[in-house]
Amino acid sequence: MSIAPSAPTLKDYRGDVNTWCPGCGHFGVLAALQRALVNLKISPHEVITVSGIGCSSKVPEYMRSYGFHSLHGRALPVAQGAKMGAKDLHVIVTGGDGDGYGIGGNHFLHAVRRNMDVTYIVMDNGLYSLTKGQTSPTSPLGFVTRTTVYGNKERPLDALSVAIAAGGTFVAQGFSSDVKRLTEILERAIQHRGFALVNVLSPCVTYNKVLTYDYYKEHLVTVEEPFPTREEAIRFVKEHRGLVHGILFVDPETPDYQTALGYELRTREIDEGPMDEALLRELEEEFR
Amino acid sequence: MPQPAERKNFPKEMLQYRSRFPILSHIHKPPVPARGGRKNTRGGVKSMELAALEWKVGGQQGEGIDSTGEVLARTLFRYGYYVTTYRQFESRIKGGHTDFKVRATPAPTHFHGDKVDILVGFDDETLPVHRPELKPGAVVILEGDGIKVTEEDGYTLAVFPLKAIATELGNPLAKNMIALGITGGLISLPREAFYHFIEEQFKRKGADVIASNKRAVDRGYELAQEHLAHKVKTLPPRDIDPNRLYLSGNEAIAFGAYMAGLTFLSAYPITPASEIMEWLAAKLPKRGGAVMQVEDEIAGITFAIGASFAGARAMTTSSGPGIALKTEAIALAGESETPVVVVDVQRAGPSTGMPTRHEQGDLNHLLHAAHGDFPRIVLYPSSVEDAFYLAAEALNLAEIYQTVVFLVSDLGLGMNKQTTPRFDPRRVEIRRGKIVSEEEARALGEFFFKRYRITEDGISPRPLPGNPYAVALTSSNEHREDGHIDETIEARNAQMEKRMRKLRGLRIRNPFYVDHPDAATLLVAVGSARGPVEEAAAALREEGYDVGTLFLQQLAPLPVEELRTLLVGRHVITVEHNYTGQLLGWLRRHLPIHEHSTTITQYDGRPFFAERIVREAKERIADEHRAERAHA
Repeated sequence: MSIAPSAPTLKDYRGDVNTWCPGCGHFGVLAALQRALVNLKISPHEVITVSGIGCSSKVPEYMRSYGFHSLHGRALPVAQGAKMGAKDLHVIVTGGDGDGYGIGGNHFLHAVRRNMDVTYIVMDNGLYSLTKGQTSPTSPLGFVTRTTVYGNKERPLDALSVAIAAGGTFVAQGFSSDVKRLTEILERAIQHRGFALVNVLSPCVTYNKVLTYDYYKEHLVTVEEPFPTREEAIRFVKEHRGLVHGILFVDPETPDYQTALGYELRTREIDEGPMDEALLRELEEEFR
Repeated sequence: MPQPAERKNFPKEMLQYRSRFPILSHIHKPPVPARGGRKNTRGGVKSMELAALEWKVGGQQGEGIDSTGEVLARTLFRYGYYVTTYRQFESRIKGGHTDFKVRATPAPTHFHGDKVDILVGFDDETLPVHRPELKPGAVVILEGDGIKVTEEDGYTLAVFPLKAIATELGNPLAKNMIALGITGGLISLPREAFYHFIEEQFKRKGADVIASNKRAVDRGYELAQEHLAHKVKTLPPRDIDPNRLYLSGNEAIAFGAYMAGLTFLSAYPITPASEIMEWLAAKLPKRGGAVMQVEDEIAGITFAIGASFAGARAMTTSSGPGIALKTEAIALAGESETPVVVVDVQRAGPSTGMPTRHEQGDLNHLLHAAHGDFPRIVLYPSSVEDAFYLAAEALNLAEIYQTVVFLVSDLGLGMNKQTTPRFDPRRVEIRRGKIVSEEEARALGEFFFKRYRITEDGISPRPLPGNPYAVALTSSNEHREDGHIDETIEARNAQMEKRMRKLRGLRIRNPFYVDHPDAATLLVAVGSARGPVEEAAAALREEGYDVGTLFLQQLAPLPVEELRTLLVGRHVITVEHNYTGQLLGWLRRHLPIHEHSTTITQYDGRPFFAERIVREAKERIADEHRAERAHA
């Protein structure tokens, strides 16, 4: 462990005592994220992790970095704001399907089209788990939970297709028990200059008896290479009812938001002391 | 005749004109009989000096009412007057009655006035709506068929076919310029003053447009001379003080924030606050900052919180309905101790209420918004001038105290312009509070930096992400010193008490303005109510009433001790734009003033008339005397 900047190790990324349920899918996601950062030689002080509220949103607690554990559904705007404040740092957002696609659905859609250079990891267990197992936007049709006693009547949100169709420049899906592959996906997502969505199928062992490790192991289809067009990527996702695994689509051409601004952000450069009198007098001319 | 000071931007021709002709020649022409068979029987020269001018134009939205008013206001400002304005409009783009008030006074004021000397109307609604505001002897200029000047009950009604005349002159759009010309003729304003603005405004439209607008102004002057000569008065030229500006509260907030180092603003468009975002959108990129119009009000504040956490100077702007949506994140700023400035330019509520009307109905919300206990600062400038300084100070206070600062304004203050002294850059120094340097953090040697370190003043040193020695967690959950979740009694109490200690003894430079503090009755107000209250108090004093004023700028934390000395034992009347007397409620909560306090409220979406405050204050004072006698 060190607080000095040097080649980072996994120990440098070790956070607070973990309170996830034994066997929780999120362990694999946290491990993959920490490994990806170490592999990329990024130090904890160069990373801002932002989360909302929920089990998955505990990631800033459980790993050491500049963290912001914010509000339910609001991780994306906080994170994009943080990127506007600290353009040279890696901003990584972690949250769940309820947090990101339910209450945060509007922010998600706009983050995709804005293409801010932020990595968004959604730990998707098809449930609201921290509130003890209610239906979520990605719960399957007919799913019985405490709030859908007669079965879920709403179709699950296909976040991958939505992200690709909305202009997402990096869209991938990982599986939390395949830490090796997930690490590779996250490394590429972090390196991607623009908004990167990595939806991770991360089973809730306590409340979700349908979307289990075995279920995914049996059904997941691997994508070896990203599809060349959005249409092909979406068709593939639809054909396999979202049970896909890998990087689906990458658009390296569209500039990220800050590049598109066309000037260099210097939002942290604020001079203390008296106001700039010459500037004041210059701007006053508009009002004379 | 004092020589006007030389100043930039002032039309040179006008300076020459004024120095050569201190008194304008055409006033001395004998009055020309009015057309239409009606003889001017008054005889002789009736020219008199006007001490001040109150002018209003009304018409349908989309007719250029605003720009007409703005041209006259700027002209009078550059003619040396203190100008205050008030625009009223409806929540639609075209159609619907709108009006624009301009008041020009020789001395500074914060009020656009109760009355009207000259009323210009392009639609049928203008006269009936504003008839009660006409001063005795006022002139009403209306668009209509044919030329007709008549003496009505207390005012002169002049009907001109403005559109037809403008069309004859080759530019139907110039009817407003004719009306301005008539106005100029009526107050003997050098017409060159208008020429200057025409040249400025139509520069890009070419010489023809400029010429046709000038012809329209000239035609207006002629019409005034031909038909209204008996009504002509002189608004004497005044010394031009180069140390004056003319701007709105919204512009002042944007400008003040910019000068205080604002680098990031995220917001969602809403009337009447959007102008702040619009002004900054053009300016911030020039210094590497950014304005982001984001997807919703919640993103407006959470983007700002994220940027501030990362080290930017951040602000968000909105109005009541938007502030309601931001409420959850206001608590986030409180718990996570992230600096953020939230500007509320109030409009009439509740809900979406009357979007383009004036009110001060959000005070209760701002003073209490969001769940849980956390420290907040609420500032409310009472003039355009203070809007500048308080916007700057709000950014400092947010970073120094690491919490949410509300900067409260209202439509009346935000959207209307006032002549204001130039700003003093030495009055607010840019300060960022306790930001931890790399050296300081290194010396502490903490693996998990104690972001929420318990300190005596309640303020913890704040690292900016990227500092290699201060890796820290910021949290919306209750936490221990290093930011990690902790709900033990010890951690909770220590953190809550630390946060609540922060604002002890906080005083801004001018927490309030008080005038005649020893008076038996104090009129207390906030924001744009200051203007009418000041003038009402002056009028009451002239009538022998013992009345003072207090304009509160720091609402939270309330400067209780100072206010106790001023208010307790005195007759207090708050004057406020809401139904329930929210300001009075807040004062009563902190001070034992229940028995000797009352409120004058207005909630119709329109600004106060000073007259009404005078009338009601007299009643309240009489009531108070009766009560005291009964008590004795």
